[in-house]
Amino acid sequence: MFEPQAMTKVIIAGSKDYMGIAIDAMYKRDVVHIADFADEDEDFKIGKPYARVSQLSERAISLRSIASYLSIKGKEDIPNKYSERAIIDTIDEKTQRLDFEVTQVTDNISEIESRIKDINDKKRLLEPLKSFDLPLNLYRGYRSLAVFVGTLKGSPTISDITNDYEVETVPYGRGQAIALFVPKNFEDDVLKRLQEQSYAALPLPEMEGTPRDILVDLDAKLTELASEKHKSEEELADLRQQYIEFILASDEYLSIETQKAEAPLRFATTKNAFIVEGWVPTNDLELVQRDMDDATNGHVIVAVDKSGDADVDKVPIALSNPMPSRPLEVLVKAFSLPKYNEIDPTTFMVFWYPFLFGLMLGDIGYGVVVIALAILVSRRIKSQSIRALATVGLYAGVFSIIFGFIFNEFFGAELFGHKGLLTFVYEYPAIPRLDNVLTLLVVTLMIGVIMLTFGFVLGFINEYRQHGLKHAVYTKVSWICMLWGGVLAIALILPPLTTGSGIQLSAGLVAGLAVALVGFVLLIVGEGVVGIVELPGLLSNVLSYSRLLSIGISSTGIGLAINRLSEALFFSKGGVFIIFGVLLLIVGHAVNTALGILDSGLQALRLHYVEFFTKFYNGGGIKYEPFGFSRKYTEEQ
Amino acid sequence: MVDPIGAGLVALSAAIAISVTGWAASIGEQVVGSAAIGVMAEDEGFFGRGLVMTVIPESIVIFGLVVSLILLFVALPSLG
Repeated sequence: MFEPQAMTKVIIAGSKDYMGIAIDAMYKRDVVHIADFADEDEDFKIGKPYARVSQLSERAISLRSIASYLSIKGKEDIPNKYSERAIIDTIDEKTQRLDFEVTQVTDNISEIESRIKDINDKKRLLEPLKSFDLPLNLYRGYRSLAVFVGTLKGSPTISDITNDYEVETVPYGRGQAIALFVPKNFEDDVLKRLQEQSYAALPLPEMEGTPRDILVDLDAKLTELASEKHKSEEELADLRQQYIEFILASDEYLSIETQKAEAPLRFATTKNAFIVEGWVPTNDLELVQRDMDDATNGHVIVAVDKSGDADVDKVPIALSNPMPSRPLEVLVKAFSLPKYNEIDPTTFMVFWYPFLFGLMLGDIGYGVVVIALAILVSRRIKSQSIRALATVGLYAGVFSIIFGFIFNEFFGAELFGHKGLLTFVYEYPAIPRLDNVLTLLVVTLMIGVIMLTFGFVLGFINEYRQHGLKHAVYTKVSWICMLWGGVLAIALILPPLTTGSGIQLSAGLVAGLAVALVGFVLLIVGEGVVGIVELPGLLSNVLSYSRLLSIGISSTGIGLAINRLSEALFFSKGGVFIIFGVLLLIVGHAVNTALGILDSGLQALRLHYVEFFTKFYNGGGIKYEPFGFSRKYTEEQ
Repeated sequence: MVDPIGAGLVALSAAIAISVTGWAASIGEQVVGSAAIGVMAEDEGFFGRGLVMTVIPESIVIFGLVVSLILLFVALPSLG
């Protein structure tokens, strides 16, 4: 719970004849984390992948291209698992047939699409001319006439060039569509004039009949093509329906086979033998040994390597936490996995994270919204890490409600008491945040002091285990002394300073200063003069917890403002204004909830990462990735 | 009787304390934040440490906040 899962270093070795069987056995159990072999020398070489890799990847490529045509994303659920045997027997023949069928349908679809585009182009050109009612062949082929068909800003003004013309105009877009017929000898002048009016010629398609009739024809063709396309798409959907299980299962099968075939690239091999270095969760060690014995009749051995214990940096990390705290692992992983000999902070975050979040949000109404959102998200969304965050949200919502009762806040308004929404309910001694700023400031700083102390204690345990007692005292006890000595001294100095009376040299003050001095000396002895540089950091760490208050009162303040505004602007006027008032309340509080969740979530995380973790946690562990695959679509025979 | 000019000056000082430090912190976070996002584009595992470095300049505004809270809730009442 407080530490990563225990791992044992193993060496798996045997004759190359048994390498394939050993790979299968390891893969099936899915617990051995292989440490890649990299230091080649004269005796040990990196293993060669099996020759079937290239064939496997060729198949995978053609299968995935089919899958993308059929828009299969690889995350779909299928009712039954596919047997591996059935895939091996049919994969080549089925892939070929599927490739042929899919290509035929998709080719057909793309041809239809290009024809549709062609028709739409023609329609676009003919559309402006449809009210002219002139057959297309009358627009061309004159010896003595020039024809201008196109679009223009305003009407053509060419009466000063010639009066001998025929023009048809119709409003089109922002200007006009025109068909202008002039004698050939005025062509250049007229063109120049038209160009001044932004004339753009319409290239007419080579067709017969009036544009109106042609358009009717084209529309009919379009409908026909659309239904043809629809039919082809249905065929594609049928293919998808029919083959989706096969495609998903085969893709999984190919991935598995490729991984197995490439596995020797991670092994050390000699001419006749292979050696795998790896890590196994200590609990599973016997299981792996028995598997290997059974599979290879004792020809491949799984030996425990004691020398690996010293090298803690290389041990892969699998977090192991009980169910309630598992969702918090996401937040720890986002920072960094712990080292093997480090405390796993997940369990502590189960309390601290929701506590800090709730302290900031601190509102019964917002808390209920957070819980509702968390439940909604975990119902609707499948992604593991998002569901984990939703569970964290659930915890945080509960704490928000608890603090909501303490602060007596409900959507920024008072809930209980003679000024509250529920006047008939017993008025308990709540602590409204806006009326107790100074008290709460001191409380938040004390929470900071406690959390930092806790961090230093954890740091002490880490240091003690990694470097011994002396080092732990120098680096962690020193800080605890300075923290508490400083707190005591400041607590005694600050009140007289603010009231203006003189500072009394009491026993408490002397004790506080003495403890702080002891801590300071320990720090100097342990870390040298450089340690002084970090001193102001301690002060800013403590003060940093004042954000617990400031985020809280800003969220309360916004909620209060929304309530007052809707009251003053709308509810007080009555009638139809009540609708606006309700609308303002809903929108305002929705925005404030979103801000509250985002801000409280991030700030609580920051207080962990920056203030808390830095006291004991370095991280940098390697993720435990066992050699194997959790099958979703296939089952072994 | 509270001196209105004195009270006004205290309130103004509180406003300056929080706004100037907020401004300063934002400049600091802008520089660090864009660099951190640059690193995250290369290596997503940097998120946690990136966040830590990005929020370091924020201590400035926290100091500002504490100063203005003290001005408003300790210095201001002591005027009257």
